[in-house]
Amino acid sequence: MASRRRMLLKVIILGDSGVGKTSLMNQYVNKRFSNQYKATIGADFLTKEVQIDDRLFTLQIWDTAGQERFQSLGVAFYRGADCCVLVYDVNVTKSFEKLNNWREEFLIQASPSDPENFPFVVLGNKIDVDGGNSRTVSEKKAKAWCASKGNIPYFETSAKEGFNVEAAFECIARNAIKNEPEEDMYLPDTIDVGGAGRQQRSSGCEC
Amino acid sequence: MEDPPNPNPNPADSQPQAEAGARLAALSLRGGRDLPPDFHSSEIHEHHLDDDDEEEEGYLTAASRGGSSICAWKEAPDGLHDDDKEGDGDDVSPPSPSSSGYAGERGSSLDDDPEPDPDPEPAQDWPRDKKHLDEDDASSSWRKRKKHFFILSNSGKPIYSRYGDEHKLAGFSATLQAIISFVENSGDHIKFVRAGKHQIVFLVKGPIYLVCISCTEESYEGLRGQLELMYGQLLLILTKSVNRCFEKNPKFDMAPLLGGTDAVFLSLIHAFSWNPATFLHAYTCLPLVQATRQAASAVLQDVADSGVLFALLMCEHKVISLVGAQKATLHPDDILLLANFILSSESFRTSESFSPICLPRYNPMAFLYAYVHFFDEHTYVTLLTTRSDAFYDLKESRDRIQNVLLKSNVLIEVQRSLHESTLHVEDLPTDTNSQSASQHHSSQDRSSQSLSPDMAIGGPAGLWHFIYKSVYLDQYVSSEFPSSISNQKQQKRLYKAYQKLYASMHDKATGPHKTQFRRDDDYVLFCWITQDFELYAAFNPLADKTQAIKMCNRVCQWVRDLENEIFVYGESALSWQYHHCWGGI
Repeated sequence: MASRRRMLLKVIILGDSGVGKTSLMNQYVNKRFSNQYKATIGADFLTKEVQIDDRLFTLQIWDTAGQERFQSLGVAFYRGADCCVLVYDVNVTKSFEKLNNWREEFLIQASPSDPENFPFVVLGNKIDVDGGNSRTVSEKKAKAWCASKGNIPYFETSAKEGFNVEAAFECIARNAIKNEPEEDMYLPDTIDVGGAGRQQRSSGCEC
Repeated sequence: MEDPPNPNPNPADSQPQAEAGARLAALSLRGGRDLPPDFHSSEIHEHHLDDDDEEEEGYLTAASRGGSSICAWKEAPDGLHDDDKEGDGDDVSPPSPSSSGYAGERGSSLDDDPEPDPDPEPAQDWPRDKKHLDEDDASSSWRKRKKHFFILSNSGKPIYSRYGDEHKLAGFSATLQAIISFVENSGDHIKFVRAGKHQIVFLVKGPIYLVCISCTEESYEGLRGQLELMYGQLLLILTKSVNRCFEKNPKFDMAPLLGGTDAVFLSLIHAFSWNPATFLHAYTCLPLVQATRQAASAVLQDVADSGVLFALLMCEHKVISLVGAQKATLHPDDILLLANFILSSESFRTSESFSPICLPRYNPMAFLYAYVHFFDEHTYVTLLTTRSDAFYDLKESRDRIQNVLLKSNVLIEVQRSLHESTLHVEDLPTDTNSQSASQHHSSQDRSSQSLSPDMAIGGPAGLWHFIYKSVYLDQYVSSEFPSSISNQKQQKRLYKAYQKLYASMHDKATGPHKTQFRRDDDYVLFCWITQDFELYAAFNPLADKTQAIKMCNRVCQWVRDLENEIFVYGESALSWQYHHCWGGI
């Protein structure tokens, strides 16, 4: 049991409704795609084991709902995330423009210790639609935005065709690990006997 | 920031809960949709055949209507139809039908529905290694477990699960966190959710969340008390300073810190069903003649005076003697958790050990160091100190203790007591005034009686069993089980009945009460609480009330007559009367 020292990484997926967050996750975890759109209610949770350089990790993927009415859930969901994935639809300009909002909202709500270097990954999804003819956000534009936000890794994906999904999630996992502090210091105190009984009683009894 | 333990949520409390419940429907709780089609059908019985202790708790009985902890959310509306008890089943709306169900979870699940393997160790006292690592929340066997315990962080990372692999349950753990955090976000606290036969009880301890999902019909107060002990056990291993790790780094993955302690938690969970100390908040002693105990206490006192904070001599879960330095006192819950830790960790038995441990009721923030040595299979001494370099000193102290114990035959007496001196209700001294059928039975009578199928086996007036707790000493004594309550299932049932009795007697809203007489199909239960003691007694269901009360008086007298042998008297124990707290750490 002691050897089972796998690490768990919490990954949050954000983006406007309908950009394909759930489909990306389903493609990644289950290698499945459905054309039918089902709105996520609140959040869905999936787990996936990944191996990266000889180490096993468990990705705990939080697929959140894109609708604005669920955004009050933010604080509860974002706390303790190891990586945040921002998704937009390359055919919907507005979903790209909203990335900035999503990113800022996440940083506010999750308040990570080092927001400058918190690992994000951006995915431009649905590149398969119309053979790319209905595309309204160019790769160049997306990359420029990513570069301006501290070189966020960028992937163009198709959840439908499974294109680039595996690569994107591998990058997500790697980024999550990179951000992990070397070793969490866990240094408990030892009781100071000086005033033994008294002062300890008070802390022992705060029920 | 922690809300005071409120074991009795009054109707006013449930209002925000109901509201929260409705809002919770917004969360997509996976798993409702693709239950195996035969989920509610007869496959449920499969496992009952090996009726060992754990199985009874591990699986739903066919009668108790199938349902997993997760799909319990879906059950709520059903519950209203066929179960009149579940008045608040509508606390929770069913999840939206658009929930994408379990399909996703399969990705991480190695095997979907393993036919639960018949466990091959029925002879074993209790199953230590029944964690069933192959299970996760997609397995039907996992869903059928009657009682789950989970520990997770406030970011939703799993820390401990009674059944199944924590990592495979990461999605489920996230769901629990979402529920708790969601309610907290609205400035409220979720205490429990009832869904059909299931009760989901939550306990928030700073960044650590504890959850019990059970369909064992135990009370909310009882389950919450068990979660408190789980948390206490976690503190005993790690101290409350783990909170600092979460403050520094909310992503902190705590599970690795508990590596190798599965057996400790499993053994504690097992104790919830057999050890009355888990709900009485009292400890029990090994019966010994006064002179023998005094010999042990004298040497422990001697050691304590030379810089040891606490010295305990125990036999399994029973105290032989305990001594604290100066005014330091040991809380019964700490004794329980310490003994559980030592007895469930195999390595303590094989060599003398020195290990950091925290006594959560004494000081949850910091470690003490425990020197542990087993004199024989059952009997062990624990010396607690604040000095991390005290090993060799304590080793010497142990030598001294061992010499005295050997010289004064304490260890032999302990062995004898372990096998002989137990309280049998049949031995309850006869009331000299009444010439009732109840006579003093010798043990020979007992054994011949036990062959009889007669319901009335046991003590006089149908007395089957009792627990007597001395309020001032924080100690209890209980009688042996009679042949009418001979198997573990019956014993567990009786303890659960006592547990309920305890909760109802100490009900903060309506209590505390002085007496309770309750008759049902299984027993007559009688409880009597005074300033000095609490008595819990079980009689056969046909017992006469007046006679039963008479018997209880005699039990109390009997216990008083024996008190020098069945209780430990010492200054340190006495001072706890002023510090008795019920519930939270």
